[in-house]
Parts: sequence; C-alpha cells; structure tokens
Amino acid sequence: MKLRQVLQQNKSMSQTRRRMRRRNNIDAWVLMLPMVIILYLFVWRPTVLGGVWSFFRMSGYSVGEFCGIDNYKMVLSHTQFMPMLWNTIQYVLWSLLIGFLPPLVIAIMVDEIVHFKSGFRVLIYLPTVIPGIAAMLMWYFMYYPDQTGLLNMLLSKIGVDPYLWLNDPKFAIIGIVIYSTWKAFPGTMLLYFAALQGVSSELYEAALIDGAGSFKRFWHVTRPGIEGLLLLNVVRQIISVFQVMEAPMAMTGGGPNGASTPLSLQLYRYGFNSGGKGTGQAMALGVIIFVILIVFTIFYFWLNRKVENRH
Amino acid sequence: MKKFSEKQTGILSLSDLKTVKGKLLYWFFFAVLCLTCVITVFPAIWTVLTAFKDTQEIYEAFSIFPRDLSWNNIVRRVSESWNILQLSDEIVNTIVLSLGNLVFKIVVCGFGGYVLSKLKPTGTKLIFTLVVWTMMMPSQIRMVPNYISWLHFPFATDNGMGINLLDTYWPMWLGSGGDTFAVLLFKNAFDALSDSYVEAAKLDGCSNYGVFFKIMLPLAMPIIIYESIGVLSGAWSDFFTPLLVLDKNVVVPLRIYRLQGDSSTQMNTYFMALVFASIPPFLIFAIFQKRIMGGINIGGVKG
Repeated sequence: MKLRQVLQQNKSMSQTRRRMRRRNNIDAWVLMLPMVIILYLFVWRPTVLGGVWSFFRMSGYSVGEFCGIDNYKMVLSHTQFMPMLWNTIQYVLWSLLIGFLPPLVIAIMVDEIVHFKSGFRVLIYLPTVIPGIAAMLMWYFMYYPDQTGLLNMLLSKIGVDPYLWLNDPKFAIIGIVIYSTWKAFPGTMLLYFAALQGVSSELYEAALIDGAGSFKRFWHVTRPGIEGLLLLNVVRQIISVFQVMEAPMAMTGGGPNGASTPLSLQLYRYGFNSGGKGTGQAMALGVIIFVILIVFTIFYFWLNRKVENRH
Repeated sequence: MKKFSEKQTGILSLSDLKTVKGKLLYWFFFAVLCLTCVITVFPAIWTVLTAFKDTQEIYEAFSIFPRDLSWNNIVRRVSESWNILQLSDEIVNTIVLSLGNLVFKIVVCGFGGYVLSKLKPTGTKLIFTLVVWTMMMPSQIRMVPNYISWLHFPFATDNGMGINLLDTYWPMWLGSGGDTFAVLLFKNAFDALSDSYVEAAKLDGCSNYGVFFKIMLPLAMPIIIYESIGVLSGAWSDFFTPLLVLDKNVVVPLRIYRLQGDSSTQMNTYFMALVFASIPPFLIFAIFQKRIMGGINIGGVKG
C-alpha cells in the first residue's frame, strides 16, 4: 500500500518534471527563434548558396545552369588576379608591421603613467569616435597630392617638394594601412589596457623584491599576462585585414592603376559593377577567399582554446 | 610631484622613479603619449579649421589656421554649408535606421545569447557551434547571395512571390540581428551571471519569460548599454550596405561617400560635411564616455 503510494507519487513527479522540461524547451525555442531564423536567412543560407552557386552560370541576379568550374577558371585567369592577391597580402603584412606595436606600446605607457591618465585615454580614443567614412575622406584630403593636403602643406613648410602619397603606386597600400592603424589602434589599445590592469600588482611587487629591474619585470610579469591576448588579436587582425574593402574603395578606388585593389574590392566589382556579368565570378572569388582564410580561422580556434585553458 | 606616490608598482616602480634613469623613462613615456595625442587629434582639428576657410583661401593660402576665425565667420560658414548640403532628411533617416538596428540587435541577439547561456534547450550545442563557426567566416562569400535574397525576400531565388527589400531599411535592420559577434557577447555576459538567480526566481513561481525580463535583463544592463552605444554610432559610420541597398532615402554616411564623386561641391563645404557627419557620434561619445571607456572589460569576445 505504502510502496504503491510512493511509486504513484514518484511517477507523477517525474511526469511534472518532464512536462516542465518540455515547457522550458518550448519557451527557450520561442525566445531563440528570431535569432535562428535571421541567422539562417542572412548568414547560413547565403554562405552555403554562395558556395553552390559559384558552380553555376549566373545571368545577372538569377541562377542559370550548372557550369562546373568555369567561374573559378575565369577568376584565376584574370590577368590582375595574382597582383590583387599580392596586394591583399601586402595589406596584411604592412598592417602587422605598422599596426602591431603602437596599441601595445601606448597601452603599456598609459598604464604606467600617473599624470593626466584619463585625459590621455580620452584624447587617444578620438579616432574611433569619428565615423569611418568621414575619417577615410579626411585622410584622403590629408594625403592630397598638391599643397591643399595637410601632409604636403607641412612638407612645404620645411621646404620639401610635395609628394604624391596615394597617387604613388608604391605608397598607396601603406597610406591606407596608416589610416586604418590610426583609426583602429585606440580600440585595440583599450583592450590591451584592460588586460594590463588585470596583471596583479602583487606580482610586480614580488619581482621588485627579488631585484628584477624594469625590463625584467616587463619580460617576466607583463609579457606572460598578455601574450595570449596579443596572439589572438594578431590572428584576428590577419583575418580582418585580408578582407579589407571599404577603405581602398573610398580612398583610392583601388588605384592608381589597380595598385591598391585587394581581392574583396574585386569581388565587389564582379558582383555589383560588372553589369550583372560577373556575379558568378564574385561568388567563386568569395569561395577562394574563404578557403584561404579557413586555415587562419582553424588556427584561431585552436589558439583560443589553448589560451582559455591556461587561465 | 606629489602624484608619484599614487604610482602602483608596474614596469616602473616608485623606487625607480627616484633614480635619474627611472625619471627619464617616465617622462619619455609622457612625451610619447603627448605626441600620440597630437597624432590622434590633429587631423580632426585640421578638418574643422579647413571647414571654416573660404574656398579661395584653401587653394591659395596653404596655412593651417583660417584667416578669419571670428564668431561671425564661423556662424556664416556653418549656415552657408548647411543650406547647400541640406542634410536634415539624411539625419532623420540615419536616426530611424540606427533605432531599428538597435531593436533588432538587442531583441534578436540578446534573446539568443540568453537562451544559449541559461535555458539551453535541446539543440543548443548545434546552434552554438554554427554561431561560433560562422562568426569567423569572411562575409564576402555571402555578399552576392544576400543581395539576391533581398530582391525576393525571404526566398533565395526568384519564384514570383518574394518581396523586394531594396530601398528599405529592412536589409540593414535584419542584418543587424544576424550578428554572431553580438550573440556571443551577450552569451558571455549572461554566463557571468549566476544560475542561482534563475533557480530562485523559478522556485518563487516566475515564468521563463518573467525570469528574463524581470531579473536577467536588468542585471545585464551594462552589456546592453555597451552594445547599444556601438550600434547607435555604427549607423553613422557604415556606408557599404546602404550603398548596395538605398537609392532615394539615403543615410548620412552614404551621402558623404557620394559627395566624393560630386565635383560641384566646394572644398570647404565638403569639409563641413565631414564635420556635420561626425557630430552625432561625438554627442553619443560625450554622453556615454564613462561607459565606453569602462565597457571594454566586458567587450572582449570569447569564442
């Protein structure tokens, strides 16, 4: 009798629990549904379709018949493909060379300073506040090849002839990278700054007592505290700079003579500036960019797991 | 130099600062930071000053400061440029766009992040893996397919039933909800909040929705405000998607981009347009400065 009662109770309890779990599941999915639908429509489906349609002949924005690897052949046999790939790699290399150290160095310095600390942070953050397109055009005029441009104006003050800046094929990519470093380093700087503040000052004290000098404290206390974040950021930077498009589009239009055209800008031209003839090639180029970057993406996730495990 | 006593031991310590070498290093840091401030601030100041010049002066004088920097001249230049540019429609459009972006970002990504973090229904793992993997994928691969689906929304290809979304704000609004970075940001923020809040509220008879709106949302306010600031100022900066989508009701960044190819605009008006375009994000920054500077701690995205 008693046993049966207990069993009965147990059964109804597990029933309510199951019902509650189902209720939870439904509620949860209702809350999550908008995200899943939008991600499906705007991210997952187009990514897959981009891959599939790259094997189809497109007429404008409608899908034609299967054509094998024709689109890829056309993209790869474009006379400018290799130069554009090299341009893209140059963007990445220059952005690592010019853009890696400044945020780190400035973050360390702001962290060490006691005078005017918050003032420095606000003033240095300024480029991030200016809207991207306004900042690009601002720099376009700073680089202006005659004396109305700020840089040539300053050069003329010290008696140097005006320089071509963005109109010089050798400088165009460097010029754009200098702009993007100027625009983006304050944000990265704040990220590093937060990480530096997370390094315990007790560790520094202990190192000081052990007689470690400034450089030794930097190398044995600061560096281990932030190197994971640094590495992750470098990989992220490689991935994002490889896709650079808006700055060359607004500042040089890819010129002079294609000297600053990255692959992404070419993809935009295939997709939207070819009178509908190049949409298939645009998607093929998208897949090519994807394949190149997937290596870095996998490396990023591997690294991320490693860094997280350490903490 | 009383302030030195506040110095916490870092790479430089208080005792270092008493030596000549340490002091030199400290003031070297200070000088470099001053120089950095000049580099970050000077281009903006130059833009503003050039906007106050007359066209003739820009082409002839080649000086940084305008000849006439009196209050009257500034007012004259501002009103003159405003009359030529007529930006008021674009400003209203950008505000509408940014508010829509905000609603979609918070509702779609916020709810999604919350469910992935706390409710974890069946299928969470699959969705989460998909979110993380698509986060790092180059967006170029989906640029053209996305454009095609905007032409016959919500269908991928033309079957005669879809709606054309071109020249509306929907591609930007919906796209703002499809931001995997934001989903992860919200998920991490909710992860940091203890599960015991949820359990306690449920024991008190609170529904799943009640838990979210009454307890989790207020607790997650810092991250929501941080994300909102980013969305609101982002709308003043992004010209690329509007370039593909908008034709008549353009937004400020697209208008600025189009000015570049428009040779009828005078140089000084052009510079004033850059200044006008920068004012709204500056206001947002000025109001939320403390939040933005402090928010970076929660802003780190983890995969």
